[in-house]
Amino acid sequence: MSLIPGLGIAKGMALTLRRFFEPKVTVMYPEVRVDVPHKFRGRLQLLYDEWGTLKCETCFQCAQACPVECIDMGGMDTRGRYHVHWGASETYGERREESALRRSGRPVPDPAYRPYEPVDLAVVDTVLEDFDHDPARMLDILEATQDAYGYLPVAALKRISHATGAWYAMIYGTASFYAHLRFEPPTATTQAAAVAAHRPAETTYLAALDAALGGAVGGRAAGRTQA
Amino acid sequence: MTDLLKTPREWPSILLGRAGAKDPLDLDAAVAAGAFEGLRAAVRDLGATATIATIGASGLRGRGGAGFPAVTKWRTAVDTEAPRRYVVANGYGADPASHTDRTLMMLDPYAVVEGTAITAFAVGATEAFIAVRQEDSALIAVLAAAIGAATDAGFLGFDIHGSGHDVSITVRPVQGAYMLGEETVLLKALEGKRGQPEQRPPHPAARGLHGMPTVVHNVQTLASVAWILAHGSDAFRSTGTHDAPGTILVQVRTPAGQGIAEVPLGTPLGDILKLGAALPVGRTLKALLVGGPSGGLLPPDLLDTPYSFETLRIAGAHLGSGSVVAVDDTTDLVELIGVLTRFCSAEACGKSIPCRIGTKRLAEIVERRERGLARPSDDTLASDLAHDIVASALCDHERLATLPLTSGMRYFESDLNDPRRPAPAPIEASR
Repeated sequence: MSLIPGLGIAKGMALTLRRFFEPKVTVMYPEVRVDVPHKFRGRLQLLYDEWGTLKCETCFQCAQACPVECIDMGGMDTRGRYHVHWGASETYGERREESALRRSGRPVPDPAYRPYEPVDLAVVDTVLEDFDHDPARMLDILEATQDAYGYLPVAALKRISHATGAWYAMIYGTASFYAHLRFEPPTATTQAAAVAAHRPAETTYLAALDAALGGAVGGRAAGRTQA
Repeated sequence: MTDLLKTPREWPSILLGRAGAKDPLDLDAAVAAGAFEGLRAAVRDLGATATIATIGASGLRGRGGAGFPAVTKWRTAVDTEAPRRYVVANGYGADPASHTDRTLMMLDPYAVVEGTAITAFAVGATEAFIAVRQEDSALIAVLAAAIGAATDAGFLGFDIHGSGHDVSITVRPVQGAYMLGEETVLLKALEGKRGQPEQRPPHPAARGLHGMPTVVHNVQTLASVAWILAHGSDAFRSTGTHDAPGTILVQVRTPAGQGIAEVPLGTPLGDILKLGAALPVGRTLKALLVGGPSGGLLPPDLLDTPYSFETLRIAGAHLGSGSVVAVDDTTDLVELIGVLTRFCSAEACGKSIPCRIGTKRLAEIVERRERGLARPSDDTLASDLAHDIVASALCDHERLATLPLTSGMRYFESDLNDPRRPAPAPIEASR
């Protein structure tokens, strides 16, 4: 702390005053434009830190600003598929337009496209009857629906939402949270394979424990079958 | 079925006292062996207030891992004004490698049913649930049969023992995630919502299932409740330690075999390990993984640590799922720490950001170590990050998810920095 009160603000104002009379660097773009070559775009470069990893923070500002949309940001998702990333939807909504979708190799939405497969909803109505249309038993309803269809069709979820009064978003949120619920018909056939598929972490953990113990123990599945 | 390990004769048998029965579902035989005596004592002789006082005097603590005093939950539930209350028995058994809860319910379902009924009677709940894994159809069948038989015999249902109190118990199969072992998460799943924890307080005992006071107990706690009411709190206090009386089921795994044993709390880890088969010739004990996938790794020189809540926590582990795994010198500890950290990260529910992102970063730090790409700043980074994750924890998973790595860094520094690990790959030149 300075000994003279107000010295700090005096110093600050002095700096402001000095800058006030200095020549200006800022140009009043777009009224005034700096004379740069026609095709100048700056220098596009990704920088690395001292450990060799990219310094890019994935802020999407470059992709957003790029006038010819030549910059996109993409990466592999957990299933090894390449996606173009869009950033926050409210900010980058305009990048969901058709040309961007086309360039990223994604299907371009067709207004005439039916969003979900029509399914026989009598089954889900029976399930809803069984559980009194009670949203507090949502997990039971979803599991019974999945048992009936093999997966959770969108049409069935909409019917559940309509009948129970629970928001579709809440139902979808619950269904997508639990690993044993799925939105596509299953590919794994055996029970063990299904468990392994929807509990990858658990399976890896048991396998590692087995390996650490020299393969002497069985997992929970082994204990189950003999019981 | 997992084998029961032979324990020394002087060790008391509280939870598995009736485990030797030929048919665990034979109600007459179970009653002859003492089942439902505790319920009768609670309902006929003691009444609700004296039952709670008995549990308070016994010093019973939750067997789910945290060691919360059971009576505190009961008193909170009783003191909260509410139109109805619930009791939930947590038999989910989140740790896929630990079968302790399942074994108890399979071998003596009536103990769990009786304990649940006593708790419901004491706190004034009419509905109780036993939550178990959905894929475990054998266990669900056993519990349903046990509840049916007990109801037919008049121990459950309408007006138990002429007290005017109704108790109905339902088996609720749940499935989905490791996190369901956590009490608030389990309640969310029972309400049909995403399995994510809730901010506490209010504790579930004050505001739980459907917003009503809910007493959530591990099934071992409930079996202990039944025993205490039948045999008295002094008999219970004579086992275990002063702070943590009673016994607990432990799943022991060594490279030579595995099994479940009933162990008085406070037994040294070394004695528990002796219950399992000895290590094969030529192998030496490298580490103990105590507490399941989010457990701590302890070195062999901590073998005299008493197996109890506080002592393990100080040593850098916890009771957790009641699993004790002995790892010998052929195991790559870094790899094991990597698997455990990745498991904890993959099973994080994503509600609290330090847990969702932080455990992922911790897993990356361990992975760099596994691949020999560790950075000089990694140790500081890992301990800072672990501290932040624990400090901002919403639930016990988050509080414990960092344990494998931090306990590994605390005790097994030389393994983590083993020069025989693959050499670091050259760093790509910066441009």
